[in-house]
Amino acid sequence: MPLKAPKILIIDDDPDFIEAVTPILKSALYDVASVLSPAEVKEKIFGEKPDLIILDIMMDSLFDGFSICHAVKTAPEYQAFHNVPILMISAVKEITGTGFPIKKDDPGMAGPDEYMDKPVKPAELLAKIEGMLKLVS
Amino acid sequence: MTHESPLILVIDDEEAMRDSCTQILLKDHFRVETAAEGTSGLRRAAELKPDLVIVDLKMPGISGFEVLEGLRKIDPQMVAVVITGYANVESAVEAMKKGAYDFLPKPFAPEELRIIIRRGLERRRLALEAESLRREKILLEENIITMVTHQLRSPLVAIQQYFEVILSGTVGALEEKQKEMISRARERLDRLLGLINDWLDLARINRGQLVKKFKPFDLKKSLEKLVEFMKPHARDFGVTVEILPFPAPVEVLGDEETLEQVFANLLSNAIQYNRPGGDVKVEIGDSPEAVAIAVRDTGVGIAKEHLPFVFDQFYRVSRSESKKAKGTGLGLSIAKKIVEAHGGTIEVESEPGKGSVFTVLVPKNSGQKPE
Repeated sequence: MPLKAPKILIIDDDPDFIEAVTPILKSALYDVASVLSPAEVKEKIFGEKPDLIILDIMMDSLFDGFSICHAVKTAPEYQAFHNVPILMISAVKEITGTGFPIKKDDPGMAGPDEYMDKPVKPAELLAKIEGMLKLVS
Repeated sequence: MTHESPLILVIDDEEAMRDSCTQILLKDHFRVETAAEGTSGLRRAAELKPDLVIVDLKMPGISGFEVLEGLRKIDPQMVAVVITGYANVESAVEAMKKGAYDFLPKPFAPEELRIIIRRGLERRRLALEAESLRREKILLEENIITMVTHQLRSPLVAIQQYFEVILSGTVGALEEKQKEMISRARERLDRLLGLINDWLDLARINRGQLVKKFKPFDLKKSLEKLVEFMKPHARDFGVTVEILPFPAPVEVLGDEETLEQVFANLLSNAIQYNRPGGDVKVEIGDSPEAVAIAVRDTGVGIAKEHLPFVFDQFYRVSRSESKKAKGTGLGLSIAKKIVEAHGGTIEVESEPGKGSVFTVLVPKNSGQKPE
């Protein structure tokens, strides 16, 4: 563990999800920041410099999450954040089966590092985050 | 419309008319093609897909009216301008009734032709635009299932997320009774979410979409994995589950994920509606064209009068001795839809008190993509 607690940024347009998940993350002593509007994502990422991002797939439009993920992972302006692990979450995975282009399925888009269905089980969420942070440290 | 200049087809039996039209239009940088009578004119229209057609109403061979009808069949958005003798306004009106966009009485000045052509092309542009908007709307309607489901699921998932967090004890300790009630609320919500998923499956599974995902795979291997996966669940019910040995791989052409869903459903039913100490056996049978997979249980069975309906949506066999039904009542209809999308069949035989056998037949991989 680094000296400072790792910071996790939650990007989700559902304030209730943020409200519910924040105490889980805080209970594991993470620093938590959040943003509701896809439009403010960039500003927030630059301001908060998160160590990990939790990202919802469907916000204003069907595929907001994918565009954000792709941008953070590949766009030159996000260069400092290319290696920040992204955990994608969605309430609608079943809709497309595994048809959402998670990483290997679509070489054209940079996929998330991990994926979880909503609602998340607190213990599973923490285990997943711990594993993801270990990989980058 | 392409980025090329618009293509205009002139169908007229008079050579002088074809030539003068061609000259006027070429000067305006349109592309021009001509035909000397109706039948060849329609043929040219079908192969060239012009943006606008000029048709002489009075021609030897098939009449201008028939040409107009033919053009509509080729492309409903095709704009047709008819040329008529000066004194023949009635037939011009008749032509417009048949779908002509406008008419031009002979003789006409080059400028008159130009104006009519320009207006006609503008009309075509708008028609094509409307057409593409219509297509977008259809696409939106297809996505609507996804959107509506998102709207339905999101609030439930948010509630569920709160329950998860409260039950985890992260936000404070719960008393036993509170815990019990919230657990129950969570269970009910789980079922409601399951129902939405099932309903959605039913709405989105169609053969056309599924066939695109077809790949050859070894069904035996995937069944073995599934049986292994179901063992803990079976143990909870005091039931044993096994797959009987089969000597060779069973290659089928299909979508592994949805077929797995079919057998997961059959196995889960066979386990849930079994008796303690009962068993579930998966048997593979083979013929040159198809494989048969039988899921056999030793449960309560299904009475004869219920059998014809078990694949119907929301049909549930009411049974006095079994606990409350767990499913949504859609599982078997989804299974049936998936199997049929694979060109297969699903059948059930049952003897009350002894057990049921669900048999799925799927065509073997013949090496060619199905239609």
